[in-house]
Amino acid sequence: MKLINSIKRDFNTMTLVMIPVAIAINVVIGQIVALLKLPVYLDSIGTVLVAAICGPWAGALTGTLSNIIWGLLVDPNALPWFPVALFIGFVAGWCAVAGLFRTWWKVIITGILVALAAATVSTPIQVYLYGGITASGSSFITAFLLQTGRDLITAVLSTNFLVEPIDKIATCLLAFAIIKGLSTRYLARFPRPENITM
Amino acid sequence: MPDRLSFFIPRESRVHSLNPLTKLALAFSLIILAFFGPGLFLPVALYFFVLVPLSLLGKVGKEFLQTSFRLLLPLFAFLFVMQSLFYPGGETVIFSFWIFSATSEGVVFAFRTATRILVMVSSFLLLLLTTHPSTLMNDLSRRGVPASLSYIITSTLQIIPQMQARAVTIQDAQRSRGLDTGGNLINRIRSLLPLVGPLVFSSLVDVEERAIAIEARAFTLPVKKTSLIDIPDSRGEAVLRWVMAALSLMTIGYRIWLSLN
Amino acid sequence: MALIELKNLTYHYPLTNSPALQDLDLEVQEGEFLAIVGANGAGKSTLCYTISGFIPHFFKGELAGSVSVAGIDPTKAGLGEFVQKVGLVFQNPFNQISGSKFTVYEEIAFGLENLGIDPAEMRERVDEIIRLTRIEDLKDRSPYALSGGQQQRVALASILVMRPQILVLDEPTSQLDPIGSQEVFQVIKDMALQGMTIIMAEHKVEWVAEFADRILALSAGQAIKLGTPREVLGSPELPEHGIGISRYTQVARKALQAGLWPEKRSMPVTLDECVQGFQEIIA
Ligand SMILES: Nc1ncnc2c1ncn2[C@@H]1O[C@H](COP(=O)(O)OP(=O)(O)OP(=O)(O)O)[C@@H](O)[C@H]1O
Ligand SMILES: [Mg+2]
Repeated sequence: MKLINSIKRDFNTMTLVMIPVAIAINVVIGQIVALLKLPVYLDSIGTVLVAAICGPWAGALTGTLSNIIWGLLVDPNALPWFPVALFIGFVAGWCAVAGLFRTWWKVIITGILVALAAATVSTPIQVYLYGGITASGSSFITAFLLQTGRDLITAVLSTNFLVEPIDKIATCLLAFAIIKGLSTRYLARFPRPENITM
Repeated sequence: MPDRLSFFIPRESRVHSLNPLTKLALAFSLIILAFFGPGLFLPVALYFFVLVPLSLLGKVGKEFLQTSFRLLLPLFAFLFVMQSLFYPGGETVIFSFWIFSATSEGVVFAFRTATRILVMVSSFLLLLLTTHPSTLMNDLSRRGVPASLSYIITSTLQIIPQMQARAVTIQDAQRSRGLDTGGNLINRIRSLLPLVGPLVFSSLVDVEERAIAIEARAFTLPVKKTSLIDIPDSRGEAVLRWVMAALSLMTIGYRIWLSLN
Repeated sequence: MALIELKNLTYHYPLTNSPALQDLDLEVQEGEFLAIVGANGAGKSTLCYTISGFIPHFFKGELAGSVSVAGIDPTKAGLGEFVQKVGLVFQNPFNQISGSKFTVYEEIAFGLENLGIDPAEMRERVDEIIRLTRIEDLKDRSPYALSGGQQQRVALASILVMRPQILVLDEPTSQLDPIGSQEVFQVIKDMALQGMTIIMAEHKVEWVAEFADRILALSAGQAIKLGTPREVLGSPELPEHGIGISRYTQVARKALQAGLWPEKRSMPVTLDECVQGFQEIIA
């Protein structure tokens, strides 16, 4: 019962309408960033935004659906990675509930925790589905670690711990900047405005 | 504005007219077979004897092959090079140069992984090429998937092209004002903010009114919704889906039995 | 009992100190066409949202006084009851598209699906409303690939198909070009002639003067005038509250100063009345 109430709390009509916009923000910014060849993905700003103002369950749903939509529109290769996106939203949401989305340095902590979750969850997917090697640049680090005698899981996990934080901290800070640009009156319509105001 | 909302190609075919759930079940059971089924060559066989013929029957053969090549070729090339050189259990050296040596275990592993991914991606591709997203969502919500979920997915599919178009407009406007979007890393990061800011805020502003609009159309009214579009389904297809489900379960059972022995 | 009854209504948006509506009394009879005029920020939208139940249900805030709309009291009933009796169409046509439908036909049916209407009846009702709102040629297009005027007619059709007892329109043409506005006004006029109860916030006073039964003038959340178009729009205090007056009234005022308007005649608000006044002076 407590679980169901906690989930229900995240979803009002504003959340329903917000999620598609957040997914579009993920996809469109993700594509622009890829186009500009920046060394980050920044493809979960919308997910973190929803997680912060609507809650962890809404954040998890946004992440999952972003991945599915990316798979539907751009590249079906993205589909098996949905658990990573799910946990990004989920962890960011609980961080916000715990008050870690109120000042920029707390947001950095959120970014680090989100990065740890993303790194951990993506490791088994990477190992069992792709044998540890994907078509991204960071796979060179994995290959290097393998050459130096690490086992596969350690190699992949360490690579992820190395590359995830920059991206996730930047993502959380950008989401925070967006929230700071929205009016209190607007934010008050969402399920968890107390996450960002004090 | 890009008018392509998804991979869907509207054509009249036997595959198009299948119930969406049947195609979804087919995709999932093929993926389960490819990943958990026996034999090194099962995924390739599934691809050539099931997926390719179905894409031809669905009159989307050309797009099916083109899209899967475009999506998978870079990954496969990378996979083969990296795995044949760095596969951890590799012993049988095929050839070596400088400090690298390619092993046949690595090549086999790359082949296994690549063919599984091939089946995974092209199963979904076949579904997407022959099924309109709104038909799929309609059918799923008729079968009990929450209406809000199908609302979110279909509305996302429409918002993305609009936002992409808006991004292009903003980008053009900024370029004409002399904003530099090329050059070194710092420059490129700096060019990102004036582009992303307006894009994000203008789309967030709409959210409140859109929420009012769907409330006004009774979206959250707690009654059982009906559907304008009737999506055909048949007894035969239902049987087919059960067969596929059974086959998938058997495959998983086989895999578990194998790992226990 | 009147179809809409507001008594001593005062409303504060959340986190605000000054009321957006203050001590408002209003009765609207079935079949009446009431227009609301007022400057920016006068409270027109707030009143529209109150009559359609979004205040207090969506906007929250503090509502004092009593509200009764088609027999529903917002303190006892939820938004669900309101949306089945009161249809709301507002300014921005683009934001009124549900977003989940790929053709205009499906878009119009969206509300009926949510009401649980049987598909056969749904088709009948959608076909009928498409005819009434003159959008037969749009029915297979994507709702996003339309002009503003076309989108607004689709928005109107999507609400009308749900057969509301009261139609609330919040400046439905303010974001449209002249042709789009014309098309939308035409549909509204048709509905008014069919006897629908209509509440419409609108700043195009020439149009309002011609078709509304009564006009409510708002300023800073308070009713400053309520009566027939001639009583309200001809009143000299309107411009003091920043409310635009009909250009026919403006002409007649100038003419009166120049001694070119019959002294006994009241200020005209429509073209016809204006012409009659000048005919009298010439004769
Ligand atoms: N969501 C809100 N929260 C707080 N105050 C609001 C809100 N919406 C409107 N207001 C305030 O309430 C007052 C009345 O606004 P309202 O939108 O009803 O005016 P209006 O007559 O419709 O104006 P316009 O011609 O600009 O549409 C204004 O002072 C406005 O700033
Ligand atoms: Mg207004």
